[in-house]
Amino acid sequence: MEFNRRQGLAAAGGLAASVALPTGEASAQTRAETLRYVTGNAVNSLDPTVPGSTRESFGVSMNVYDRLAAFGRKRLGDNWVFDHNEIRGELAERIDRSPDGRTFAFHLRPDATWHDGTPVTAEDIKWSLDRCVSARSLAPPQMSTGSITKPEQFRIAGPRTVELMVDRPDRLALSNMCVPYAIMINSTLAKRHATTDDPWALAWLKDNTAASGAYMIEQHRPGTQTILRRNDKWKGGALPNFQRVIVQTVPEVATRANLVERGDADLSIDLQPSDVAALEQRGRVKVVSVPQTNGFTHISMNNTIAPFDDVKVRQAIAAALPYQHMFQASLFSRGRALFGADWTGTPPTADFPQPMPLALNLDRARELLRESGHPNGFSTTFTIGTGTSAWAEPMAALIKESLARINIQVDIRKLPDAQFNTGQAERSLPFYTEGGTAWLPAPDYFFRLYFTRPQRWNFASFNNEELNALTREAQFETDPAKYEAACKRMIGILAAEVPLILVWQPLHEAVMARNVEGYTYWFYRQVDFRDLKRV
Amino acid sequence: MGRRIGVRLLSSVPALFGVLVFTFLLMRVLPGDPAVFFAAGANAGQAEIDMVREQMGLDKPLHEQLVRYLWDITRGNLGNSMTTGQPVRTDLIERLPASLELTFSALLLALTLALPLGVLAALRPGTIVDHFVRFLCTLGVCVPTFVSGLLLIYVFYYLLNWAPDPTGRIDIFAANAPEITGFLLIDFALVRDWSAWRAAAGQLILPASTMALFVLAPLARMTRASMLAVLGSDFVRTAKSLGLSDLRIIVVYALRNALLPVLTISGIVFSTMLGANVLVEKVFSWPGVASYALDALLASDYAPVQGFVLLMATIFVMVNLLIDILYGVADPRATVA
Repeated sequence: MEFNRRQGLAAAGGLAASVALPTGEASAQTRAETLRYVTGNAVNSLDPTVPGSTRESFGVSMNVYDRLAAFGRKRLGDNWVFDHNEIRGELAERIDRSPDGRTFAFHLRPDATWHDGTPVTAEDIKWSLDRCVSARSLAPPQMSTGSITKPEQFRIAGPRTVELMVDRPDRLALSNMCVPYAIMINSTLAKRHATTDDPWALAWLKDNTAASGAYMIEQHRPGTQTILRRNDKWKGGALPNFQRVIVQTVPEVATRANLVERGDADLSIDLQPSDVAALEQRGRVKVVSVPQTNGFTHISMNNTIAPFDDVKVRQAIAAALPYQHMFQASLFSRGRALFGADWTGTPPTADFPQPMPLALNLDRARELLRESGHPNGFSTTFTIGTGTSAWAEPMAALIKESLARINIQVDIRKLPDAQFNTGQAERSLPFYTEGGTAWLPAPDYFFRLYFTRPQRWNFASFNNEELNALTREAQFETDPAKYEAACKRMIGILAAEVPLILVWQPLHEAVMARNVEGYTYWFYRQVDFRDLKRV
Repeated sequence: MGRRIGVRLLSSVPALFGVLVFTFLLMRVLPGDPAVFFAAGANAGQAEIDMVREQMGLDKPLHEQLVRYLWDITRGNLGNSMTTGQPVRTDLIERLPASLELTFSALLLALTLALPLGVLAALRPGTIVDHFVRFLCTLGVCVPTFVSGLLLIYVFYYLLNWAPDPTGRIDIFAANAPEITGFLLIDFALVRDWSAWRAAAGQLILPASTMALFVLAPLARMTRASMLAVLGSDFVRTAKSLGLSDLRIIVVYALRNALLPVLTISGIVFSTMLGANVLVEKVFSWPGVASYALDALLASDYAPVQGFVLLMATIFVMVNLLIDILYGVADPRATVA
């Protein structure tokens, strides 16, 4: 028979092609509508308020849960960054603020529904808000920074209206409704899984969701991957472009860079500065680099331990650091320097963080050290954590070298992160470096959080009566001019007393496929998938 | 034999108990405080640290914690992981098959390479063949797994694009794996999904090769040494003088007798691989138990580390027992003592 393998094969091939074509097209389409995001961290909880939840969990929760309000975004050069001065409603269609600034009325969107299709009610919102201040979670301490502390402050004012009342017109009350912790929960669903020991369903919501946000959880494998599917009935904003988002944990940073460059993954953040520079040079991917406008890297001295309790010693250290070299060696200068300003006394603006009058001047450092009664220097230990060693190690080496020139002997100690954090919380580290980010980048919040009170985030254990009083008052200051004056004074105190040294704001760098657009830097340093689209 | 195995298992209980208590104490002696680490949210203060400490049961005195822990273990409860937010038991059950599948494949690969190489080297000692085997083994041992792993990824994925992307056990866009045994190659074979089986095997090749390279040396060297000893023994000379074929002498008589020390070494290599493949798991985003334990250790998360050590100790006991049974197969004179 002449009919044979070749014809048979051709026929089979044709058949295969005709069968394969539509499915092939369909899968290509799905791939285009799917965003694959690779990260070194893991989503370990779907409820961001659970203690121990990772930054990755915050990111997912922003996409899955709605809050009553949300920050807007603005252009910074070619990039998008969040704008904490522009607050819009998310689950609320309108927010009214009373003239005395003490009552906020949230009018819920009439058509908003939970993922299970049931309508969002004022009772749900009241329950969710109560949870924010009552549950044994990380939410209450955050809410308290906006004077929101007890359930009595929330009132159902109508079928679709909920009111928030504060005793004094706190500048940050409304901002706190926008943070990742302020999730709005389908209370009917959540209460079904609440127990007497766990009235706020913390255990159940850790692995399940009761949300109304733009994305729903399709699959959640803690520590490995989480897959999101778009909620086509979302009313909190414009419908996102991507139908599906895969959040995948890839621990090896080089592999993440390879995946994006080869086009197998669409987006990654938190790559190493050296990798990002190389990727940018090869030009196969798009790199979005934004200074972390609400973040900073600091070199802290423990103000309660000798010799750092002496302001002259601190000033001497500040005058002996090789800022420019450190910036180059640690970050490849990929960031915004917070040193090298030339003002003295009062800063030009009330923005914070802003460049401080810090410069390398060894003669001045030696003189200050002599005045402080340490003409022959002293020895100390500089501690870094393993998690930050990529940039902290070069910095530590340069600090050691430079301080040796003014006779200060520095031992570098590198600790695993849990040990590092423990030392930090116990305030037993004399001299160390770390990074910080303030969710709400208002200057008075910065100072209150990082420079007052005997608490963990007061890195330098700073205690200055004037600053304490200024931050207490500024929180409730309604006169913009007075507020600005107070903030300038705070920055002036920081410059004079140098409780710690702010060195720079690192860049937040996102590497993505060239056809992905709209990337926005958010205060919680994660990706908001709702901003992104493929063009 | 069944009774002997039972006795062996029973006699390993004190050892396991010792490991348990030792790990428990060791974790608590380490300086990091997990409560501080996990209460790291913005504005979290001492109250939140105390709250986490209470949730983890760390506010109780040490002896009470130990008793509680032992009681939990007898009921099969290994505690909760703060790192993944799941019960440790669930995590280990989900991740152990991934580690085992990788380790088994790597060991199988290593043995199929090491045995012929070792035998060849033993048959031609001092020749170029022997030197080549020695070179290959040295290379495998010298290059750390994370270097060889990254190198393989760079060449076969990044440059040549022959290998699938090195992220986990299956293609992320593909359908989910059937969850029967947790061993993907077995599961896909059971449901007769051969294209998925090939994909899973493809994901496995690079990490398994990386690990196989690393353990090639002990296996090949042991085979060579043991073969050399056996080839010089009386019964091989007798067999030769009787005119038996070379193949029969080498494979049936010599190799079988030379296998005993190789088996011992394989058992040790297997146990070591299972715990030590953390770097390979990290590099290839393999969702196994070793990388799980490392993440937990870095966060001073007690329960997962304790669970992992207990699991490893149990596996070690099992593997040793299995090796002893296999001795009997290779050499009928040996028994499960």
